[in-house]
Amino acid sequence: MHLIVGVKHVPDADTRLRVDPSGTTYDPDGVKFTINNTYDEATLEESLRLKDGNPGTTVHVVSVGPPRAEEGLRAALAMGADEATLVEVGTGTELDPLLTARLLAAVIRGIPHDLVLVGRQAADDEAGQVGSALGHYLGLPSAGYVTGLEVDPASKRLHIKRYVEGGEETLGMEFPAVLSILKGANDPRTPTLPNILKARRKPLRKVPVGDLLPALETWPGGAKPTSRVTAFQLPPPRAGAKILEYTSPEEAAGKLLAALREEAKVL
Amino acid sequence: MTIGFELTPEQRDLQALAVKFAREEMEPRAAECDRKGLFPEDIYRKAWELGLMNLNVPTEYGGSGLPLLDQCLITEALAHACGGMTTSILANCLALQPINLGGTPAQKERFLRPFCAQYHLASFALTEPSGGSDAGALRTRAVREGDTYILDGEKCFITNAPHASLFTVFATVDPQRKHEGITAFVVPRDSPGLTTGRDEDKMGQRASSTSTVRFEGVRVPVENRLGAEGEGFRLAMKTLDSTRTPIGSLAVGIAQAALDHAVRYAQQRTSFGKPIAEHQAIAMKLANMAQGISAARLLTWHSAWLVDQGDRATLESSMAKCFSSDMAMTVCDEAIQIFGGYGYMRDFPVEKLLRDAKLCQIYEGANEIQRLVIARELLKRYA
Repeated sequence: MHLIVGVKHVPDADTRLRVDPSGTTYDPDGVKFTINNTYDEATLEESLRLKDGNPGTTVHVVSVGPPRAEEGLRAALAMGADEATLVEVGTGTELDPLLTARLLAAVIRGIPHDLVLVGRQAADDEAGQVGSALGHYLGLPSAGYVTGLEVDPASKRLHIKRYVEGGEETLGMEFPAVLSILKGANDPRTPTLPNILKARRKPLRKVPVGDLLPALETWPGGAKPTSRVTAFQLPPPRAGAKILEYTSPEEAAGKLLAALREEAKVL
Repeated sequence: MTIGFELTPEQRDLQALAVKFAREEMEPRAAECDRKGLFPEDIYRKAWELGLMNLNVPTEYGGSGLPLLDQCLITEALAHACGGMTTSILANCLALQPINLGGTPAQKERFLRPFCAQYHLASFALTEPSGGSDAGALRTRAVREGDTYILDGEKCFITNAPHASLFTVFATVDPQRKHEGITAFVVPRDSPGLTTGRDEDKMGQRASSTSTVRFEGVRVPVENRLGAEGEGFRLAMKTLDSTRTPIGSLAVGIAQAALDHAVRYAQQRTSFGKPIAEHQAIAMKLANMAQGISAARLLTWHSAWLVDQGDRATLESSMAKCFSSDMAMTVCDEAIQIFGGYGYMRDFPVEKLLRDAKLCQIYEGANEIQRLVIARELLKRYA
């Protein structure tokens, strides 16, 4: 069974972002990047579990991103993926979620694939579109909000658990298919030291974006982004804390309770 | 050859793994283990699962087979979270190094492979109650009887001994021959007559376990002897030559933690209307601490690099160990001073760092011995 996992190299959750001078994105300068966004890690873990449970299964990670995204792919290889492909874009290249999906589809078409798994959304732009768009461009069925899956390679059938509002749905599907994995489905493994060393020797192919774009001209949506971010702002700074004056613990507790009830209205 | 200080992507990955492990697994438990003297074996087991133990054992025998520089990077990162736990994680490297250096292929196959295939701890048993630095005068006897040696004697301050399943033991076949009588043996824990003492109540590095080991008529087959009779002293010294540098890194890790705490505190604590970091008295301290750490780190890197080139690094490894551990004591002391009264309290993390750092001046060759070695090597160059 051949599994493809799409990952995105995103800023680490602990990093502090600044708006770049264009006002439409964050400034990558000084930002620490990672694949440790919960959705992609969970997706990778899910696919590695399938690999562990089904001998002969391969996991191929793909990413669309700048050269630094190679480090994200190496991290995925260190977790246990077998090989990687990076669609390398320059810093000036404009992308939107649908163009990203078309680029991924173009590259995935050239790789054997039984299942394509992506995180439900990237941890940076949180667009959440690539999974279903990828199903569309690859002409494959897709399912989102997946929290668990079982595969029967012999009958090429999948049993999928999906999160639905207030409950869980179990879905039967045939593969090939595209799945978007919800975070929290599993606990991602930490790469071991031997696997980290092996990761540097695993195959990592780089495909310049220019090699793929001409073919996309004839696709619906074409070779250019169809949406554009027009403004990017950080959340407004939070208002200052309110300091309560008190003379006894009882008074402090009373005032705090009153403030939580009447002002914050959280109780 | 050019001099480069840039780590390879691989080294950065290994460092990142160690940093993550230190931060997520070790640090949250460090204070409690220190306070209660707990030996967090679940953490050591996880370290083994991730490949952070047995760093120096060749991969063909199931170890990580890392160059010494890589081992030093990992050691520093781990020690940032807890010096005691790092000592216990590193103890296998020390204990197995005599087998790496002096074992036959058959012995490596027999001892290293099964040992590394599962979580196991090993102990290096050289020091004796009657004297640590004067290793040539050790008293544990090994008397040959047919195909076995019979070991009698006592070792002390043996790291991980209460939990170890394997010991590399140094004993003399003839006390009259001094250094020339010392012989190395691999002794499994379940050998009849081998007992370990109570867990020592230490000043620092309390997450590590230390005890005496007694040998009372312990029979060790000849196949467990490393090298020939009388080669043990040289094997012990060769072992320490290659494991001394990571002790320097361990000290650098502790010192870096002290500096990190001190800088954060100094930026946040105000007196006379400004953060104390902006008072010159404190700023000078921080600058000195940072200088010492950088100098020590470079000494460890240089020493490890020499070893990885296959060069003899007796002088440099002694310098790295001695300078780094002295530096760590100074830096931790200054960190406590910057914290003032809070630094003296156990609720704050810096006093533990000082207690942990102290051991680095003592074990794996006391700093006095290191200075003797440095001076001896130095004088040779002027002879």
